Amino acid sequence: MTNPAHQGLFERVANIFSLVDHIGDTLSDAEVEGLLRVLPPESANSISALMAPHLREASLVFLRTLSTWMREARAMKAAGGKIIMVPFNFPPELVTAFDNAAPLTVEVLSTLGVVALEGQGERYWDLAMGLGLPDHACSSNTIELGSMLSGEDFRADGLISAGPGGCDANAKIHEFVSQYMDIPQFVLDKPVDRSPEAVALYRRYYRRMVRQLEEFIGEELTEEKLRRVNERANRCTELYYELWEMHKVRPCPIPNLFSLFVYATRFSMWGTDTGVACMEKLVAAARARIQAGAYPAPREKARCLWAYTSIYYDFLGLFNWMEDRGITHLADALDLFMPQPVDTTDRDTMLDGMADRAWDMPMTRQMGGPSMSAAWIEDVLWAVRELDAEAVIYCGHHACKQTWSVVSILRQELMKQAGIPLLILQTDAWNKSMTPIGVVQRQIAEFVDQVVAPQRGGETTRRRRRRPADSSPASST
Amino acid sequence: MDDLFTQATLYANDYVRQWRDGGGRTVGYNCVFAPLELFEAAGLLPYRLRALSNAQTDLADAHLSRFNCGFCRSCLQLGLDGAYAFLDGLVEINGCDHLRGAFENWQYVKPTPFFHYLKVPHIVIDDALEYFADQLVQLKAALEAHFAVTIADDALRAATARQARVRELLRRAYALREREQPGLTGAQTMALVLLSSTMPSETFIALLEKELAARENAALPAPRARLLIGGAATDEVELLRELESLGALFVTDSLCYGTRAFWPLTEHADGDPLRVLAKLYLSNTLCPRMFEDYPARRAFILAAAERARIDGAVFVHNKFCDVHGIENVLLRKHLEEQGIPVLLLEKEYGAHADRGRLKTRLQAFLERIGRP
Repeated sequence: MTNPAHQGLFERVANIFSLVDHIGDTLSDAEVEGLLRVLPPESANSISALMAPHLREASLVFLRTLSTWMREARAMKAAGGKIIMVPFNFPPELVTAFDNAAPLTVEVLSTLGVVALEGQGERYWDLAMGLGLPDHACSSNTIELGSMLSGEDFRADGLISAGPGGCDANAKIHEFVSQYMDIPQFVLDKPVDRSPEAVALYRRYYRRMVRQLEEFIGEELTEEKLRRVNERANRCTELYYELWEMHKVRPCPIPNLFSLFVYATRFSMWGTDTGVACMEKLVAAARARIQAGAYPAPREKARCLWAYTSIYYDFLGLFNWMEDRGITHLADALDLFMPQPVDTTDRDTMLDGMADRAWDMPMTRQMGGPSMSAAWIEDVLWAVRELDAEAVIYCGHHACKQTWSVVSILRQELMKQAGIPLLILQTDAWNKSMTPIGVVQRQIAEFVDQVVAPQRGGETTRRRRRRPADSSPASST
Repeated sequence: MDDLFTQATLYANDYVRQWRDGGGRTVGYNCVFAPLELFEAAGLLPYRLRALSNAQTDLADAHLSRFNCGFCRSCLQLGLDGAYAFLDGLVEINGCDHLRGAFENWQYVKPTPFFHYLKVPHIVIDDALEYFADQLVQLKAALEAHFAVTIADDALRAATARQARVRELLRRAYALREREQPGLTGAQTMALVLLSSTMPSETFIALLEKELAARENAALPAPRARLLIGGAATDEVELLRELESLGALFVTDSLCYGTRAFWPLTEHADGDPLRVLAKLYLSNTLCPRMFEDYPARRAFILAAAERARIDGAVFVHNKFCDVHGIENVLLRKHLEEQGIPVLLLEKEYGAHADRGRLKTRLQAFLERIGRP
């Protein structure tokens, strides 16, 4: 008889990803073709995107990173440790710092389910809907949490909720699961403004959570444990900015999917040796592409920043499709977590630094400020100017009510302050049934061809951005 | 009662107009965390925004999206189309993401002369209480500066006493509604609660005392079923009236424009009046945006269910309202575990065309619980 837990999203995804551990550092085209033949058609679409020749090696390292993340969680559970579910907007390294706990990030698991499983996780979404949850809940977390709620998945020992202040839907579904399954919830609220008093309050909230976790896990979070993760997190931060700088090169040599690789690493293995290795690989791959003057299309037609999330149900249909047409996906707002090094002098400096980094996590940082839109606009404009973007795309995930509330202001301010047009899509970024990828492609293509390209005059006429000193001139081939 | 009912379904009702004609100034708010006492002590009329089933949202839809709840879009519409031109200012509260968007777009497009953002924590611990108390200090300073008034402690204490009296009288109104032979319908009671936040408390106290005395011996026909209605921001008096036309009565509620606006606010303490207010509102207000307090909300509803001897409960939420849409599922689970049948209704705010469907769902529910 099949163990019901093995029907759950986590176990199924972890099993599939464990295959990566048996693959070497490279795969031939024939091997990739063989791999794709045994995968369900929907997942083959996303996996084939990852296996595109120009990013295959980096993808394998990235996939292995996620496999390690899940394997370590399984091992922790098997050893009697605690699994703490965290949302994407909470730095997981706090949980990683414990010897007897491991973090699993809800939205990363949902995304992996959408990428790798037959049916793309819709089964778990349907299970959640079957409980009566509204269809305007957020699929990014409800897919994985639906799997847990069904009783078919492993049971988390605790839940961290960092949604309050940034996203009601996120905070509410965590509270729901906590109450429904009687799992302890650890809430981190975010004060609205970022005044010195509010920052001090947030640090006290953060310490309260640390104390709650220490008590729950039954383990003191010593200075040594904190330093271990923070030193590695600081290294990841350095690598993040190296990669960020390389995105400024025109045409941008960094594969579109690297945007996702960076934040998926941030949300899972940041602060670990595996996370450092993954970031090092991304930087090395990017540097090599700059040196080779590589760009996947004949010319860079448009440099796009995504204002919030991207779309995750078809990597091939989005990231690689854009690349093939010379549409660069520079970053999305999930990349805008603006990491800063944490001062590792002592426990206090580290906890303060970790709290500050928690505030800077995507969504927490941008949403829920004194103005609902101001911090978001500021970050998007900053990224537009930094990366020399020519257009911004809002994916319009249906559950992001907080961004939908003020996206009209973002559109006006982008145009007023930077002359940058905003394309507003309407999608469920984790579920293809709302808007097929073909519709998304058509809208992006029309936007680029009708709005962005005419503004640009059809050629790369804008000034070339500063490049790292060691890179050779970029070409458009 | 008919006149009160009519007044409750107007934005600028007679009481608002009289206040304005007498030179009074009015500040709008839209959340149960708003400290009414502070406004009153400043000599201002606190006016709780409402949309009263307004379904016209063309102006608002240019700013908010169709993924935002209809109630908030309707409130924004009324702000932009001039229905709330009688407001001298607005106080925003971070009640929910939709509401925040409505206020932000309102200010972006058509700023009000006075605007202040009162920031309310999502958890209740000492640190949060300190923060909220400081927020009230800032609100007080902002009101004093803009309206050129001084808010004295004595005035605050007097306003606190008046609001306590308002809440006491509203609880008496609910006792009339909840008793074996109800003396008020659910729609009538909602009208009273709506009225309470459109007029000076002294006026409302006098009016409600008179109304309660008049209805002390009123006895409505025995209903088909005694129901509790709970859920999202629902100020749709007409909707309740239509649903009650099926013969069931909403004998109690846990609505934001119902008990949750006043019932839990009973804790009184001595000391600095602003700190008293901070504790009163933050520690007692029941709202699903408080993400650690679900057990208190469940207990509150179960107590109301027992007090009003209900046959079933109806929880509504406006499409795209996450905090209520998700919470209602938990409430259904926990109430049904206590043997209370529950109907969940998702509705499009203000959509008259939706009412037939809602009535059909309620009719089916009444049949399910053996009250055909």
